[in-house]
Amino acid sequence: MSVQEQQQASEQDQTQEQAQAQSRTENKPESLVQIRDLYKKFNISGDFLDQLKFQGGKIVREQEFVHAINGVNLDVHKGEALCVVGESGCGKSTVARTVMGLLNPSRGSISYRGERIDNLDDKALMPYRKKMQMIFQNPYASLNPRMTIGQTLMEPVKLHNPTWSALEIRDKVHEVMFSVGIDPSWGERFAHEFSGGQRQRISIARALAVDPEFIVADEPISALDVSIQAQVLNLMMDAQEKRNLTYLFITHDLAVVEHFGTRVAVMYLGSLCELAPTKALFAKPRHPYTQALLSAIPRLEDDRPSHIKLQGEVPTPVNLPSGCVFHGRCPYVNDRCKKEIPQLIATDDGGQVACHAVEEGRL
Amino acid sequence: MALLEVKSLEVSFGLRSGAVKALRNISFTLERGERLGLVGESGAGKSVLGFSILNLISKPGRISGGEIWFDGKNLADLSAKELRDVRGNRISMIFQDPMMTLNPVLTIGQQMIECLKAHRKISNDAARTIAIQKLKQVYIPSPETRIDQYPHELSGGMRQRIVIAIGLLMDPDIIIADEPTTALDVTIQAEIMELMVELCDRNNVALILITHDLGVVSQVTQKAIVMYAGRIIEQGPTKEIINDAQHPYTQGLMNALPQMAIPGQRLNQIRGAMPPLQNIPTGCAFNPRCDYVMDECTKQLPGYTVSGNCQVACHMVANLKKAEQTSDEV
Repeated sequence: MSVQEQQQASEQDQTQEQAQAQSRTENKPESLVQIRDLYKKFNISGDFLDQLKFQGGKIVREQEFVHAINGVNLDVHKGEALCVVGESGCGKSTVARTVMGLLNPSRGSISYRGERIDNLDDKALMPYRKKMQMIFQNPYASLNPRMTIGQTLMEPVKLHNPTWSALEIRDKVHEVMFSVGIDPSWGERFAHEFSGGQRQRISIARALAVDPEFIVADEPISALDVSIQAQVLNLMMDAQEKRNLTYLFITHDLAVVEHFGTRVAVMYLGSLCELAPTKALFAKPRHPYTQALLSAIPRLEDDRPSHIKLQGEVPTPVNLPSGCVFHGRCPYVNDRCKKEIPQLIATDDGGQVACHAVEEGRL
Repeated sequence: MALLEVKSLEVSFGLRSGAVKALRNISFTLERGERLGLVGESGAGKSVLGFSILNLISKPGRISGGEIWFDGKNLADLSAKELRDVRGNRISMIFQDPMMTLNPVLTIGQQMIECLKAHRKISNDAARTIAIQKLKQVYIPSPETRIDQYPHELSGGMRQRIVIAIGLLMDPDIIIADEPTTALDVTIQAEIMELMVELCDRNNVALILITHDLGVVSQVTQKAIVMYAGRIIEQGPTKEIINDAQHPYTQGLMNALPQMAIPGQRLNQIRGAMPPLQNIPTGCAFNPRCDYVMDECTKQLPGYTVSGNCQVACHMVANLKKAEQTSDEV
């Protein structure tokens, strides 16, 4: 090999290394939405007079709170579909609504591309609203029955693009209707004239109409039939590919998560107990609650072991248990679990889990 | 003789625009202690079928044809008074949402005792003892105190267990459960389903489980009926239907499940949606959505073909079977 050739070869090596380094930085996910130390509590003690109690000869004021979210830290990476799962009452919908600014957090912050958005007023929030859209659970309730589909779809486009002409708006509406498989000529019809699956497509079209980057979907398919669920999921996946969308997908259906999610966050009683790439989570769930949850999915195969039974019920979020919120039902509980709140620790397969038993190697 | 035999049952709803047939030509049997799953999408008529067994269809609906034989009586012909002896007594029903089923202004005990006294001559104390015993059977912790609580004081899973306990009160022969776990979470669902299987086995009660969840059907039932647009399109042993579905619709339903696809890839969807009952296509009702549609399918309603231990209503399956037979003869 001549000197020249050697030089060339080493140059090639260098460029390859550079390319690799570049791709490494590209692989490091860019976070689009950051949720930091989020708390949300709801006051359920009624009005001022209801709060007054007579106790030991004195009048005391007592307030009760539902602690819906307790210190959640979560990053949504650009281009991913982050699924949040958990049982009803675990706070997953509250997370979705707080991220969208529909609820104000009690503590903590939410940032979009590094800009804090949870403390903005309505006017300052407008440009973010255009980038973040939401799809709701029940397509029967989320479409205005007194507006035609055309009007429903035009409203957000008009609002967010005040300089557009009527023609441009119409073209945009036709484009999104076409992309979700609804014939643009049906724009004159009202919501009740459509089936559940079609209505959910229209909801998706409404979210897509302002060209968002980030979509929060709160149980978008749980009100639909199995065959229609597949249609809507396919549509959402196509949209993600074509428009480079990022999803925060709230659901209780684990089979859907396994198919759809890039990463999965498992919530229990307002806390995050496990966060992992979908494959890793389904192959090897670490948290005892995740294990129980996964074993409860009804599968078509009947030769698998029966599900892990949890003792007791989900405690009320009014009086949270001390320490790990799951300790009352956990088969691996010890004294430390009852006192100390577990923090998320990294696992070797790229996930995070909040469990003392995993940390101590007992599990 | 079978415990319950339904013969070419028809249910129609008289609407202003004309009568709509919600059920057409439904025939099946249920043996003592057998667990049967009724599967289909919303609007397929599975709930109507469950309700019509107890003649609970409200106006403008009515049973317009066919027979329901139970214990030597045709339930479709009984008077309201005679039916009352069967309802809740020999055949009981569990509904979808336990919060809607239980009366919010009565305690659990009052509701259970009311039910017992409606069917039997029994003292309050004796009824209470039976009620507590049934609550124990469904694993309600400390039933003696729970019995005096109101439904809102209990969790969703606990409420559904109480509804099941009420269903079991009169030691029925059949329990019809209409989507009993749809309103509940997965972990609770698994618990409730296990409990129902255990109780049915122990008391030799037959179960008709109405659901849209094929996973639940495959784990709980022994026999399955798949319905589409008011008609049975496939029925047979659950295992055979799950592992080797014959009807293109059943195959489509299975393939549409996320677990059947490669993660991240498109799901195998069935195109279109179920037709409204006023507007069922001629021939096979599934023909506009079917990938294997032939000329015959758009003209003639397919009859039932026996395939293995299953009955399938599909022209394609019928033709395949015919071809098999002729090739066997040759």
